[in-house]
This record gives sequence, structure tokens and C-alpha cells, in this order.
Amino acid sequence: MAVYVIKRIVVSIMTLLLIMCITFLLMNAIPGSPFLTEKSTPEMIERANAKYGLDKPLYVQLFNYVKNYARGDLGTSLKMQEGTSVSTILFGQGKFELSIKLGVISLLLAVIVGIPLGCIAAYNRGKWIDGFLRVMTTVGVAVPTFVLAGLLLIGFAVNLHWLPTKSNSLPDFKSYVMPVISLSFYYTCYVAKLTRTSMLDAINQDYIRTARAKGVKTRMLILKHALRNSLIPVITYLGPVMAGIITGSFVVESTFSIPGLGKYFVQSVLNRDYPVIMATTVILSALVIFMNLVVDIAYKIVDPRITLTGKED
Amino acid sequence: MEKDNKNLLEIKDLKVSFFTPAGEVKAVNGISYSLGYNEVMGIVGESGSGKSVEAYSIIGLLQSPGKVVGGSITFEGENVLDFTEEQMRQFRGNKVSMIFQNPMTCLNPVYTIGNQLIEALMCHDKGYTREAARKRAIEMLELVGINNAEKRIDQYPHEFSGGMRQRAMIAMALICEPKLLIADEPTTALDVTIQAQILELMKDLQHKANTSIIFITHNLGVVAEICDRVSVMYAGHIVEQGDVNDVFYDPQHPYTRGLLSSTPRMDEVTRERLVPIDGTPIDLLNPPKGCNFGPRCKHCMKVCLREKPPLVEVGERHYSACWLHFKKEDEQEEAET
Amino acid sequence: MSGKFAKFSPFHVDPELIEGTFSLQPEDFDRADEDEKAAMEQKRKSVSYWRDAWRRFRSNTVSMVALGVFIACLLFAFAGPALIPYDYADQYRSSQKLGPFEYSEGEAVARSIAGSVDGFYATALQPGSLTSLAKGDYVIYHGGKTYAFTLDRAMENAILMLQTKAEDPLFIVSESKIQQDGSWSDSKAISYTDTPADGAVEIKLSRNVFPHAFGTDSFGRDLMARTMYGTRVSIIIGIMAALIVLIIGATYGAISGLSGGAVDFVMMRIVELIYSIPEVLVVLLLQVVLKDPLRAWFDSSNSALVQSLSALGAGIISIFITFALLYWVTMARIVRGQVLQLKQQEYVTAATALGAGNGRIIRRHLLPNCVGSVVITTCLQIPSAIFLESFLSFLGLGVSAPMASLGSLCSDALETITLYPYRLLLPSIVLTIVILSLNLIGDGLRDSLDPRLKK
Repeated sequence: MAVYVIKRIVVSIMTLLLIMCITFLLMNAIPGSPFLTEKSTPEMIERANAKYGLDKPLYVQLFNYVKNYARGDLGTSLKMQEGTSVSTILFGQGKFELSIKLGVISLLLAVIVGIPLGCIAAYNRGKWIDGFLRVMTTVGVAVPTFVLAGLLLIGFAVNLHWLPTKSNSLPDFKSYVMPVISLSFYYTCYVAKLTRTSMLDAINQDYIRTARAKGVKTRMLILKHALRNSLIPVITYLGPVMAGIITGSFVVESTFSIPGLGKYFVQSVLNRDYPVIMATTVILSALVIFMNLVVDIAYKIVDPRITLTGKED
Repeated sequence: MEKDNKNLLEIKDLKVSFFTPAGEVKAVNGISYSLGYNEVMGIVGESGSGKSVEAYSIIGLLQSPGKVVGGSITFEGENVLDFTEEQMRQFRGNKVSMIFQNPMTCLNPVYTIGNQLIEALMCHDKGYTREAARKRAIEMLELVGINNAEKRIDQYPHEFSGGMRQRAMIAMALICEPKLLIADEPTTALDVTIQAQILELMKDLQHKANTSIIFITHNLGVVAEICDRVSVMYAGHIVEQGDVNDVFYDPQHPYTRGLLSSTPRMDEVTRERLVPIDGTPIDLLNPPKGCNFGPRCKHCMKVCLREKPPLVEVGERHYSACWLHFKKEDEQEEAET
Repeated sequence: MSGKFAKFSPFHVDPELIEGTFSLQPEDFDRADEDEKAAMEQKRKSVSYWRDAWRRFRSNTVSMVALGVFIACLLFAFAGPALIPYDYADQYRSSQKLGPFEYSEGEAVARSIAGSVDGFYATALQPGSLTSLAKGDYVIYHGGKTYAFTLDRAMENAILMLQTKAEDPLFIVSESKIQQDGSWSDSKAISYTDTPADGAVEIKLSRNVFPHAFGTDSFGRDLMARTMYGTRVSIIIGIMAALIVLIIGATYGAISGLSGGAVDFVMMRIVELIYSIPEVLVVLLLQVVLKDPLRAWFDSSNSALVQSLSALGAGIISIFITFALLYWVTMARIVRGQVLQLKQQEYVTAATALGAGNGRIIRRHLLPNCVGSVVITTCLQIPSAIFLESFLSFLGLGVSAPMASLGSLCSDALETITLYPYRLLLPSIVLTIVILSLNLIGDGLRDSLDPRLKK
């Protein structure tokens, strides 16, 4: 187990390094200088390049960048509030916590609501509740996050005035409702669908027939024998869910005017604020990679067939 | 009740149909037989002949769209088909248990062998404590010849070999001391050497535990080794039934003869679709009017294409369903191989 | 065990019993000939894989309805723009911010006139603007010639045709407002008269004003036209992206699976690496990075291919590139898995043993067996590409104005959501319906093509 975890951590760090390199090279591939504006002169650009170390050879820049990141120095913003460090921009005023809170609540909601819904549907296969859940989840995975966010806004904020349209500081419960629902709904539906399918798949397996043959109660068949096996594909899906929730947070944060990481990422992309783009990419990638690591370990705990060296095919 | 019945299990005119979108498939079409205490009955037939379906209906494991549409299954005087769901659950595993063809997929991969063995015991309130159940499970594992059972009990199915898993399956099936064990091709998926070991084990346990066995297989060699009586099934009907020696040394139905003269080679034993006789089994969606075997039969007569032959006694406890038995002796041609 | 068996035992039974039940004749015991036997065997027609799949798909009501809905969406997107007189990029300044089925003042006038009279009179060369009379199809009679024009957009053309100066706009005459000197100040109150004013030109209404079924946006663009166009863009992007994924993924997977060994190992490690990269982050970066070089490339080259690519816009092309770079991995994995599985099948071994070449094995055995899962994956790739495109457009990174996609329409609508919620609602619903129908078709295809479910 320890060997496996260490191996996975090493692979994760390598993936992260690769992403850092890709980001860095992509940023450098953009023609033109970030300091190029209408009034800038060549000397000004040169001075700015020297100030931010952009005049050095590419590999030196790359090396410095990785080294600084390892020390926790994320660099200085080029555009936003010039001269302020990227860490201040990203972590100041609780932006990071805000995004993480939103993401984690949505992820938990997707799992805690999605899996039981899937089980209920599979258990009541063919009955009205299964039909209802099937329609709901099928529609749910066809609604993009921003559409749902918009619909919720129209319904609950614009027409009914129950909830605030903007969730600037997320001070209270009410401000969380719409962002969390729009962020997690798709994944709740997907997890429910996946659980139902893999549950039905598990129910048709030979070992369920064996369990029935030895007289196990129907409830236990579902909860003990089918559920744990059907969780395996669901867990595999949780890595992509995390990535998706981060992506969705870009949309949700801009829809509900939430000052979180996602919003800054999109802004920095549009502004070409390289250090902020790179820092945000690395942080978000690290989150996704960390989640994948957690998923792989959880996978191993649920499925004893996974060996130390890798997945059994 | 028990005293009145010398038979453990009596099946009368059992009919099982599968209601598919294309129409009703009569998988089992009126079979009858009885099974005594301590008796081992072999059921032989090609794939799709209805042998597994018939066994599944005894233990109530028929899955939709399969349904028992007629007949009765009497187990120790009680009609199994009248059981409620809860009665059926208590019946399964306790009075009748079953082992299956593929031991690789029949054990739940995410629970230990011990967990699954103990579960079989615990779901039939027999008053075992957790510790006692565990002890019993270890005993059972030792009984089926698993060495180092104390340690093995906490291992997962994937840590067992195929033969070991089938042993564990047998231990699980017998842990509640059932009166009847249904074995659905228990050796088909195993290596030939392991097959022999498992058969030896089953024979041994049958004597020790006084259990009746219904042994479903398409392997005639296996039947000869373990069974007292044998039923040959073809397309949902029993075409021949009798003591093993009678059926093997004096087969009366052309299909049985065909089966015997096309003895499968040992290297083909693991293949499921072995068709040793010319032609293919009939389409059960559109069964012929006459004898189901008629179109493939070397001795096919005009009557065979018109009427289904009745099952008649051709020897002591030896039954066969063929119109040839109605033909006058002097008119018979020399039987061919 | 083979060898001669004994004769069949005769079964002696009461002949009357048999007679009573079966009525047998001696000749019934004659041998049946082969023809008689063959006649008994009712063989079902063997059904080809595709016919069988189609039969199963057809019997799936949900999928068939979804197919119908998707075809309706296709008609909406591809035939619809030809049926309505508005174009996605036309700005009708007098018709800004209209709700669904609302008409601008001018359109309302035109509508009210249209029913009762043939036309009304207008004159040129006077100060003011005609933009108060909006959109519709009109006919102008001048100098014995008939000019058809669309009012807002064709304004300048109309003036040219009438050989007036561009800075002197055309005016619609309202008789009561005509001053003694021939000028008038109020251009809004339009009425009509049977007798033409001096120098007035007849403006004839050729047909009713087409309603803005989805309303118009802040630039006065018809939202139904934009939604139709956006749906078209989204569907094209979805299909193209799925094809790119299909070609790259299937080729990569097939090569990896067929090669095996070290090649397979290296190729699959690459796939795993790409798999673990959070795709959307890279997609966003690529969008930014690719936009300018693509534009420069479009401007520099004159070849027909580049020109046709540039018509699509840099945003869409970079979406395709990101798909080509990142999204083929799932397809590659599926195809590789299939190939590996099929390679071990007995019939492939048999074909090899019979001396069939690699090409023949791929054509005859591997391809037909892979087709099912490839079709399913491709079909399900379309909605996911539409998803991604709408997401990027929503963030302002996809298609660029005046081009529209369903995502960019939603994004535009968000700014004014409190005032005009329907602007978000309508494209959202269309987007959801397109994705939903494609998902359901994909599910239906999986159910009907997957051989595992055949039993």
C-alpha cells in the first residue's frame, strides 16, 4: 500500500511538472509582449522585460519559475494592481477558501445525493420512481452548468426574489444555494445515472445469483453485494468530477459574481496576465491531480483486486 | 408428511417459458421426474436444452422474462411454487443450495471468502454467534480440502485458484447442510485435472453429508462417474431417463445414442457450444409439430414429424420417448452407430 | 464409447390405447425422407447485424423520439434561416430589445397598414431618418421600376437606386405633417393616403412583417435568426470535433492495439499522461495562445483551404485543434481495447492460420467488429463537444462576434438577465434539447449496437 501511494505521488508530481512546462511554453509561444500597449516604447518594454526577468534565455526562465514555485513564490502580477504578488491576488480576501468551499460542498452533494438516488432507482427498477429519476438524470446531464445557473437566477432571484442575484461575499447560507446547486446538479445526475447503471450491471453478475441462491435477503443483496461493486466505476468518475467542478466554477463564479479563483483565472486569461495564469493553472491542476490520487487510493480500498503494481484489467 | 414420501423431490409436468419480445419460448415443456433421498441425478443435454432453466425453477432463481407456467415442484411434500418470497428465501441455501458453472465470477470479488461463507450461515437464523459461524466456516473449508483454512478464510476470491474457488463454493453451498444440492456444470470451467478432484470431492461429500444431488452437465463422462440416475434432455423435454448403467450401456433414444457416439474430446471439454450431432437444436420459438429431435434423427419416420412421442417405460425404471419403440421388432433395421 | 448399440427395445402396449390417442397406421413407421425432414425445420431468416440493430433501435420509442427531435433541430438550424427574412448579423436599430412576438413601432405601423392598403408614399431628400420604420419587405416604385428592398439594411441601396445622395435619407410621407415649404419635422407619425404627395414615392408592402419569435437583442438583431445560426454553428462544431476525435483516436488506438509490445506500452503511457491533465485548463490556455497566430496565418495565406478555414473564425479552429490534441484519448482507449480483445478471438487466429494477410484481417475481421463501439463513442462525443464549445463561448473564448453559437448567446443574455430573461431562456432550451436528443440517440445506439446486450 505504502509503495503504491509513494509511486502514485511521484507520478502526480511528474504530471504537475509537465503541466507547469506546458503552461510555461504555451505562454511563451504567444507572439508579442504582455507589455505591448499603444503608448509603450521599445525601451519601456525592454526595461519591463528586464524587471520581470523575461530577457533571459527560455530554459533559465523555466528553471527559475519551477524553482520559485517550489519555494512557494508564485511571482508578481503583470497587469492587475501592478507589482502585487500573485499569492496576494489569488489567496487574499479568502478567494481560495471561497472556491474550495464551493467546490467541496458541490462534490459532496454530488456524491451524497447522487449515489442514494442511483440506488433507489436501481432498487425500484421499472417503477414510477425509477422512471422519474431516469427522466431527471437524463435531462440533468444535458443541461450545461451555465444554463442551469441562468435558469435558477431567472426563477429564484429575478422572478421570486427569494435568493440574491449576486453572491459577492457568500456571507450566508442563502448565497450558497444557487451556486452550489448549479455546480453540482450535473454531477449529481451523472453520479446517480452511473450508480444505477453499474448497480443493475452488478445485479446481473454471477455472484449476486450465488448470494440469492444461498438465501440472502433482497435488501442485503443491494446494500452489501451490489453496492460496493457498483461503487467502483463511480469512484473512477470522481476524478473527472473534480476537474469538471473546477471548470464549472469558472462559469458559476462569473454568473453569480463570486470573487473566487475561477473568476480570476478567466480574467487573467482574457488579460494575458501570465504569472496569474500560470499560478492558477498550477494550483487548479494540483487540485485535480490530488483528487485523482485520492480516487486511486479509494479505488484500491474498495476493490481488493487492485494489486500494488497497478490496476488489474 | 415426510414419512408419506419416499422421494425428496417430485417434479410433475413442469413447464417454464421465457416471454421474449419475439414470442413465448418454451424452454421446459412438461418434464416429470422424482429424486429420492441420497440419490444423485444427472441431467444431460446440449446448451439450450432447458436443463439449467429446470434447475433454476426448483430453487426459485428464474429471472424475468422466465416464468413457470405449469406443473408442480414438490419438495418434502410442499409445493415450492406456492412459497411466498420470504419462504422461498429461507428455503434457498438452507434446504436446497446450488453451485454454478464459473467459480471465477460466482464469488463476490470485494468480500473475503470467510465473509461470504459466514453470510450463508447467518441469513438462516440457525442461532450461530459470529465466532461460532466463523469456526464452522473454517471447518467447512477444511472439509472441502482447503489447506491452512484459518488463514485462507480471510483472503479474497482473487487470491484463490479456480479449483479452490469451486471448493469454497461447495463449502458455502453445504454449510447449512441442505437436503439437495443442485450443481450446474460445476466442473465445466475447470482444468481437466481439477475437474477430477472436484468430482472426487463431491462424491465424497455426498456420502458424508447424505445430500441428494442434481448434477447438470453436458459431459457424459462426469455423469458416469458420479450419478446414480440420469435424465437426457432435448429441447425442453426429457427424452430418456434411467439408471446410469442402463442408459449408458443400453441407450434407447436415438439422441442419447448420438450423444454417446460422439464422445467429446477432452481438450474440447471447456467449450460451451459443442454440437456433436448433425444439425443444430431446434428453434424453440417455432418448435416442430412432431418430435423435437425428428429433423436431426437418423431414424426419423413419418409419424415423428406429426406427433410428439410419449415417454414410455422400456426397461426397469428406464424411460424413453421415441416412436421407434412402437415399431414392430421384425421391421426394425439394424441399428447404426 | 462408440460402437454398435443393441436394437431399439420394442415397447409392448395395448394397441387400442395407442389407437385411441394417436391413430397410427403401419406406413407411419416408414422412413421419412430428407425433404420431409427439411420441411419440418422452420428456420428463422438470419438477420444481418445492421438490420438487426436498426430493428432494435426502431423499437426503442425514446430513441426514435429523440431522433425525431434532433432532425427537427437540424431543420431549425439548417433550413430555418432560409425561411425567415432576418439574418443573424443584421442590426435593425429600430427594433432593439424587443420581446418575443413584439413589434417595433414601425413594424406595428407596417403591420396595421398591410392588411388594409397596398402601400403608402414616401419622398426623398428631406432631413430626418427612416429608421423609425423598421424591418419588413417593401417594394418601392420609382421611375417606372420596381425595387424590392428590406428597409433598415437596404436603406443605402434604396437611396442609391433612387439616385439620391447618401446623406439625404429617404422619408416616408405623412400627409398631414407636410409643411408649406415641403419639409416636415415629425417622421414618426406615419399614416397613409390614397393621393401621393408631390415628389413622394410609393412604398408598397409586399407582405406581412415577419414576427421576432424570440425577440431581438440590444443591437436590434433578430434572436430567432441568431439562435438558428448558433444552433447550426454548435452542431457543426460538435460533428466536426467528433470526426476529428474519431479519426485521430481510432487510428492511434488501432496502431497501439495492433502493434502491441513496446510501441503499445509507450503509446498508452502517453494516453495516460494526457488523461491526467485537467483538459479544460489547457483548452483555455490553447484558446488564448492560438487565436493570434491563427489570425496572422489567415491573413497571410491566400489558398482556398486557409480562406475557408478563416471563414469559420479563429475561435472555432482553435476548438478543433484542442479536440485534436486532447480529446481523442477516450476513443483511442476504447478502440485499443476492442482491437486487443478481437486479436485474441479464435476466428482471427483461424484467419491467420489460413494465411490471411494483416490488411485482410483488419478489413474483414477487426473493423466490422469495432464499428459498433466506435459509432457509439462518436455519437456521444458530439454532445460533449457541444458542451465544451458552449462553455468556452460562454466564457467569451469561443466564436467571435457577430458569429453566434448557443453558448455565446447565453453569455450575451446573462448581462441583461434581470430585464430580458427570455434571451437566456430560449437559446438555453434549444441547447438543452440538442444535447438531450443526442445523448438519447447515443444511448439508443448503444442499446442496439452493443452485442453484449443482444441476448
